[in-house]
Amino acid sequence: MVLALSATAVASISPRDALLIRSVAPVVRDVSSSPPLLANISKLPRTVEVNLTAGLTTLILQPGVNSEVFAYNGHVPGPTLDVREGDRVIVHFKNELPEPTTVHWHGIHLPFESDGSPFHPIKSGESHTYEFTVRPGTAGTYWYHPHPDRRTGFAIGKGLFGAIVVHAAHDPLPASISEKLLILSDNRFLKDGTIDFPDAVSQHGGIDEENGREGPVLFVNGRVMPSISIRSGEVQRWRIINASAGRIFRIALAGQTMTQIGTDGGLFEKPVEVQEVLLTTGERAELLVRGGARGTRTVLQNLPYDRYSPNTRPADWKVTRELLTLETSNAPPAAAVTIPPTLRTIEALDTTRATAVRTVVFGQGIINGKTMDMSRVDVSTHVGATEIWDIVNIVGMDHPFHLHGFQFQVIDRDGVREPYVAWKDMLNIPKHSTARIIVRYDDYPGKWMFHCHILDHEDHGMMGVLEVLK
Amino acid sequence: MTRRSTSLLVCLSSIVVLLFATAYTAPAPSGKIIVSPAQARQDQILFGRQLVLTHDCGGCHGMAGDNPSAPGYLDGVRDTAQQFHIGPFITRPKNLTPDVATGTGSFTERQLFNALRYGLRPEETPDVQITSMVPGQGNFPLHPHYLAPPMPWTAWRYMSDAELLAIAAYLKNGLKPVKNKVADSDGPPDFWASEYTVEKIGSYPVAPFPTVNEKAP
Repeated sequence: MVLALSATAVASISPRDALLIRSVAPVVRDVSSSPPLLANISKLPRTVEVNLTAGLTTLILQPGVNSEVFAYNGHVPGPTLDVREGDRVIVHFKNELPEPTTVHWHGIHLPFESDGSPFHPIKSGESHTYEFTVRPGTAGTYWYHPHPDRRTGFAIGKGLFGAIVVHAAHDPLPASISEKLLILSDNRFLKDGTIDFPDAVSQHGGIDEENGREGPVLFVNGRVMPSISIRSGEVQRWRIINASAGRIFRIALAGQTMTQIGTDGGLFEKPVEVQEVLLTTGERAELLVRGGARGTRTVLQNLPYDRYSPNTRPADWKVTRELLTLETSNAPPAAAVTIPPTLRTIEALDTTRATAVRTVVFGQGIINGKTMDMSRVDVSTHVGATEIWDIVNIVGMDHPFHLHGFQFQVIDRDGVREPYVAWKDMLNIPKHSTARIIVRYDDYPGKWMFHCHILDHEDHGMMGVLEVLK
Repeated sequence: MTRRSTSLLVCLSSIVVLLFATAYTAPAPSGKIIVSPAQARQDQILFGRQLVLTHDCGGCHGMAGDNPSAPGYLDGVRDTAQQFHIGPFITRPKNLTPDVATGTGSFTERQLFNALRYGLRPEETPDVQITSMVPGQGNFPLHPHYLAPPMPWTAWRYMSDAELLAIAAYLKNGLKPVKNKVADSDGPPDFWASEYTVEKIGSYPVAPFPTVNEKAP
């Protein structure tokens, strides 16, 4: 199995991109050196209190080249917020960036004031304390990132993203299974290491606005083509986050299946054997991965996926890329573990109790024919209401739907009933397709964003305001 | 009555209606209101129908041609013979019936107006009043996405506001929705922006008469 990008991959991408990739020598590093954990400074039980600072720094993102980045506590990705269900979380945040920012706790059910949406910007030089209690039953993989007005894509692209891992009070999986965190991202650099954000007026800027900014360099935990070591027969639990601005990952382990056990809002009811997983922007997956024969290796691939409109589809979209190497060591095989056939029970929201059916039409950069206006309320409802949202994508490009504050369940996609119940906060709406979701606004009145999570679309106004009244 | 004279009558009555349409919101002199708003709306839709027929919209946008009673009227292409090959690209005329997912159902009449006046794709251009044709100004998109050729919006933009609004009103309200998902047209990455510059297509409003090619009578 090749470690480097294959020759065909390099040959079929643009000369500009090839130039960029050549400077990225494949480096094998252990992904187990994943981002550090945010240190808990609280001495109180069931309380996680951390300091988080966003600031400017210089890091080596690609081997041998310095890049000026935005970083949380000096790291890209930022340090991981590691908590348990029911914990009180207190984040003392300081903005040392030269621009306003926020911290959005993507997927977490929390008070409006702590959502870190564009309604609550934190100016340069200012501090803010975010507080929330992690809702029981929401153990899973989440992430945090900035969500300032019209600058989210820029701020995340500059390096501001980190993981949140919420551990269950009683996890059904055997404790012997080791966990790996895999934060997927991509980026694009100029030759001198500068992160490439083209002028919005340029054609390149226009293509970024259309597609969502993608880069040819693919990262796992900020590293290019790292490796993970596993023993033969060992089962590892991988928590995977797609933190990219526009790239939809379609991941597969060459030559073997994986077991998907969870998604955005935590575990499924039952494990599902999968050949591949489509991970839209902002989406998460929990997978069980098995070690192969002793001394063998396989590769986590990113398979081609056509999310693009015909006019701006990249020439290299059909190229399979490689993300990391999974190396099965020569150590004796690990003892077998039993995966429980039932992971948990999820209450399916009752469609007969829905008090409203909303139609949300995704155009290109617009929702229901409108661009974002923070002084406008697009959907008004009440705490406790259950609603069905009929999300219709009328254009020839995928748009990933994200709702703040409340996890939802998918009812059907293009009329095909969802095969299992799961809690979601991200849902890819493929080109010219429809999906229906059901959501119940448990607690927390306020103004919540719903938007396309292709960050350039979001920043150009493909976002609406859901007001939940008391 | 011949079809032509009927059409003329419809046209004239619609123009009268449109002239008076604004009067309903303002205090009208006693006895001046000659049609109800509902009647005015119906007349506008019939006027739009007439314009859709006379401008051969059905010639590209469906199997029925300009016959409103034939199957496939205005509901978009259904086979490759109806596609247009524009250089290396293919244009597929869209479904103009008001189906939400596959047609014009989710567009406002103003979005359709902006498509006909400015050539802007309604599914990619917000429902706003456009007051400039300079990209990035007056609600004109920074990166305009134009309708693919050969849609002749560059000529039809010279129709009056009332005419374009009547076409939009007919498409939205005078047709039954038909579900027909038309594949996307493909085109250059600038969405034809370099083909639709003022130098290539002329200005809107049109240059004053007479231009270098014209002469005063």
